[in-house]
Amino acid sequence: MKIVIVGGTPGSGKTSIIKSIISELKESKIHYVKFDVLDTQDDTLIKEKFNISTEKKISGDVCPDHYAALEIPKIIEEHKDKDLIIIETAGLCLRCSPYIKEGLAINVLNILSGKPSNYGPLLTEADLVAITKGDLISQAEREIFRAEVSKVNPNSLIIDANGLTGEGGIDIAEEIGNTKEIKETLTLKHSMPTAICGYCYGNKIIDPKKTLEQYEKGKELKTKLPNLNCGKCGYKSCNEFIRAVLNKEVEENKCPYIKED
Amino acid sequence: MKIKEITIQAGNNKNKEKEGYSEITILKGQKIGIVGPTGSGKSQLLYDIEKLAYGETKTKRKILINKERPDKNLKIDATKKIIGFLTQHMNFMTDINVYNFLKKHIKTRNENYTEAEIKKLIKEVIDDANTITGEKIKEDTNLLILSGGQSRALMIADLAYISESPIILIDEIENAGIRIEQALNLLLKEGKIIFLVTHDPILALGTDKRFVMKNGGIEKVIYTSKEEKEIEKDLSWINNHFLDIRENIRNGNQIKELKIKCKPIGDKK
Repeated sequence: MKIVIVGGTPGSGKTSIIKSIISELKESKIHYVKFDVLDTQDDTLIKEKFNISTEKKISGDVCPDHYAALEIPKIIEEHKDKDLIIIETAGLCLRCSPYIKEGLAINVLNILSGKPSNYGPLLTEADLVAITKGDLISQAEREIFRAEVSKVNPNSLIIDANGLTGEGGIDIAEEIGNTKEIKETLTLKHSMPTAICGYCYGNKIIDPKKTLEQYEKGKELKTKLPNLNCGKCGYKSCNEFIRAVLNKEVEENKCPYIKED
Repeated sequence: MKIKEITIQAGNNKNKEKEGYSEITILKGQKIGIVGPTGSGKSQLLYDIEKLAYGETKTKRKILINKERPDKNLKIDATKKIIGFLTQHMNFMTDINVYNFLKKHIKTRNENYTEAEIKKLIKEVIDDANTITGEKIKEDTNLLILSGGQSRALMIADLAYISESPIILIDEIENAGIRIEQALNLLLKEGKIIFLVTHDPILALGTDKRFVMKNGGIEKVIYTSKEEKEIEKDLSWINNHFLDIRENIRNGNQIKELKIKCKPIGDKK
């Protein structure tokens, strides 16, 4: 099984590029997963168009990239029969992206979205950079942009892509062909930004003392939870559940797996 | 890389039928038109050429350079790219003046140029761009305020001098505000091969031959006749006269004469 992670800012053309990749890989058994924060229809659209297995994962209050890293092992476990898993990230943060060393990391980069030097690991850690919307500007600027991309990420393969015409789809599919199968351990290419404070556990009052208290309480609860994100408590993730408990919206025994003191 | 010729080997049209030729070779210095209605396969043909397709695209066409299959590096690396593309969209997005923009592009292409060489090259580009457009481009003009005609002229001169791509694809470029004949001559002076998707009569009749597209394939090839070449000359003269009048209006002059007298033949439309 191979894993492809596609990251990029909203509107960069991730979904269109993925469609052009899927249409070049008709022989493979593919599972497509879309991570998003609030909602998405991409999973049903892709299912209707290509008749492959798809699912969506909504992260809600949790950082979608942390959430993706937590969910990936489950996805792999459930789709052992597939040749290829394509994961489309929510694409919110330039600072981070859950790229995996053992898979292929694709950054879909909108040429109109600013200087490549402003991007963090989303661009700098990608194995392949698919530059989109290049047809909207002159060739000279396209070349300059490309040179700037290879300055911040000298090891990446840079491909001009267009989700509407299918340009670049063949080249990306070829690169997926060259990607190795995943082994047992998956490693993040880049550690994710930390987010461990009272605000993570739902504190809204801007005050160091108050947020520290909330953090202590949240941490205590966190060690008692299974961190499965199973959803049986009615919340999308254990983190959302912790927030709800601390806000007194729900009792902690609503979690069927909670460890008693 | 020296390019003497490019060869297109026939693929299939949308009905999976073989195209109406087996192979076509185009020599250095030639201009080829590509004509046909929307959806007839013009853009796909440009795409096949740009990608140096070798049977992997949906048309299964093969493109040969100097009778051989081109190296894969030529496809991927922009600075080695032998194909230049002039698209309909000539927008800029970088907030920078013309001089610094061209300098940046020259450095992207070749890091070894000295400051003096860069300065000389930029002067050539701007001077030649100014023979194509009526409104003069200056070194310190901001890229974002260039008019449509100025942008097109600048990019054509850039293609001729800086990009140095020996093969140029032009997709429905508008001729508004530029002297199109001068523009093409500038590109051909450098011994390039030009493919033009166009229905502009001056451009289409100014080519050596034109591919007629139908149903995704090249249906036939028309060689530009002597009569067509004469018509092209007259139309081009009229277009340039138009531009002169436009410049006069821009410069605040009154228009005194139209150097052409014509009367429609046949019924009025």
